[in-house]
Amino acid sequence: MTNGTISIRDALYESPGPKAKKIIAAATVLSLVVLAALIYLVIHQFYITGQLDSRYWSVFARASTWRYLGKGLLGTLKVALGSSLVAFAIAMVMMLGRLSSIRPVSWIAVALIELSRGIPTLLFIYFFFLVPSQFGIMLPVYWKITLPVAISASGVVAETLRSGVNAVPKGQTEAALSLGMTDGKVFFKIVFPQAFRYVIPSLIAELVIVLKDTTFAYVVSYADMMLNARVLISNYDALLAVYLVVAVIYIIINYLLHRAAVFMAGHRKTAAA
Amino acid sequence: MATNEQTAIIELKHIDKHFGSLHVLKDINLTVHKGEVVVIIGPSGSGKSTLCRTINRLETIDSGEIVIDGDILPQEGKKLARLRSEVGMVFQSFNLFAHKTILDNVTIGPREVLGTPKKKAEEEAMALLKRVGVENQAKKVPAQLSGGQQQRVAIARSLAMHPKVMLFDEPTSALDPEMIGEVLDVMTELAREGMTMVIVTHEMNFARRVADRIIFMDEGRILEENEPEAFFSAPGTQRAKDFLNTLKERDR
Ligand SMILES: Nc1ncnc2c1ncn2[C@@H]1O[C@H](COP(=O)(O)OP(=O)(O)OP(=O)(O)O)[C@@H](O)[C@H]1O
Ligand SMILES: [Mg+2]
Repeated sequence: MTNGTISIRDALYESPGPKAKKIIAAATVLSLVVLAALIYLVIHQFYITGQLDSRYWSVFARASTWRYLGKGLLGTLKVALGSSLVAFAIAMVMMLGRLSSIRPVSWIAVALIELSRGIPTLLFIYFFFLVPSQFGIMLPVYWKITLPVAISASGVVAETLRSGVNAVPKGQTEAALSLGMTDGKVFFKIVFPQAFRYVIPSLIAELVIVLKDTTFAYVVSYADMMLNARVLISNYDALLAVYLVVAVIYIIINYLLHRAAVFMAGHRKTAAA
Repeated sequence: MATNEQTAIIELKHIDKHFGSLHVLKDINLTVHKGEVVVIIGPSGSGKSTLCRTINRLETIDSGEIVIDGDILPQEGKKLARLRSEVGMVFQSFNLFAHKTILDNVTIGPREVLGTPKKKAEEEAMALLKRVGVENQAKKVPAQLSGGQQQRVAIARSLAMHPKVMLFDEPTSALDPEMIGEVLDVMTELAREGMTMVIVTHEMNFARRVADRIIFMDEGRILEENEPEAFFSAPGTQRAKDFLNTLKERDR
């Protein structure tokens, strides 16, 4: 930035110097070696105990297995997408409430954010599983998993958005006010678009949490990838093989999200530098 | 440069302001007339920025009255926003909108506040950018421009609102020395064209050249108010003499 104010963000994300780079490289190599050794040990152990016998893997020779897992994956992605969108919507409201100059509104928002962050996802799931039916409301099973996952994530997302808003320099608001913009326009045209760009990487990282939470779908018998994996396991007696494959799929998705976050972070830097 | 018509554009009446226990503005009375260029000088911490910022209510006041072109400055709401749109402000740190192109920085005010159609706003913006000499930067984002260029864009952004008066709070203090001139040139040109201006600056040669009136502030008070020649050649208070002497020391 040329305007002389080095923001905390710039200072925190300053790229590492030559010494730090060496340390990072050494640590990376070391951890890779340790990781490889661990993986070897585990696989070796499974091999000795016969867990890697081909009969356990034959299930993956069938196209129907993959189709079934694929269906589950689709369910997982549907819940993840729905939860993310709902979480974002709730988070926007909570964040705006928290920033409100009307004290009681702000207090209520703080309380809701703390509840959302403090209560485990599983308890929200039980809540939506048990409570609405008491009032005769029949929630579709999709919403029984999507709503609690969304609510559980919304508090963190709200705080992330708020940190972005707070990171926008005060001068941006002042300049917009001087042009005669109303508070709403200042926020939605000037402050929030910048805040959102700052926090895109964090938001993507939070998607990973949402994705992991979707595995609670079995509690409400929603057919996500995890539930379908369980069905495969009980049908084919191939616990390790199925879990390994499913784990790899989750890792790939989360890795892609991670790459997206890194890409966006780099993108943001070059766009704002 | 002072015009004969004595329409008051800004009237400050008995303004008082505290920051906590710090009394930063003490019974400030100041009238700025149409076409007038008023330069505010004074030592650091004397309240120049605060005074400037109260004029469009970026700072609230404890008591007193601010009148902009006959309208009392309201405390909030649409009416406040409307009056602010008539008062341009140029900041020390430029404050261009970092996520918008240079062109959008200049058009966003007219489009969002005045409801000017896109095409017309862009035509006017290009004309203004040309006037301040940065028309070939229109598609870039602020971070790609030098400080001097950014500040000239900031002036164009203010001008796009057709303000009745423009406030400048140390517009060249964040600039490298070689860029100060280009910004002062734009401001000098504006003054020559009859823009009503209130300028906080430490550039004394510039002040001498463009000011119709110098306001000297110290510890939250206006200590002196005089024409530039009279003020610089014979300051009336010891504080002002000391201040001018420190500046001379600095420039030596
Ligand atoms: N937001 C604030 N909160 C508390 N005190 C403040 C605030 N802004 C300014 N002050 C104090 O008010 C006094 C006047 O500040 P102001 O910025 O108006 O001075 P100035 O004349 O513009 O000084 P400079 O030449 O350094 O810009 C100073 O003592 C300053 O520390
Ligand atoms: Mg100042």
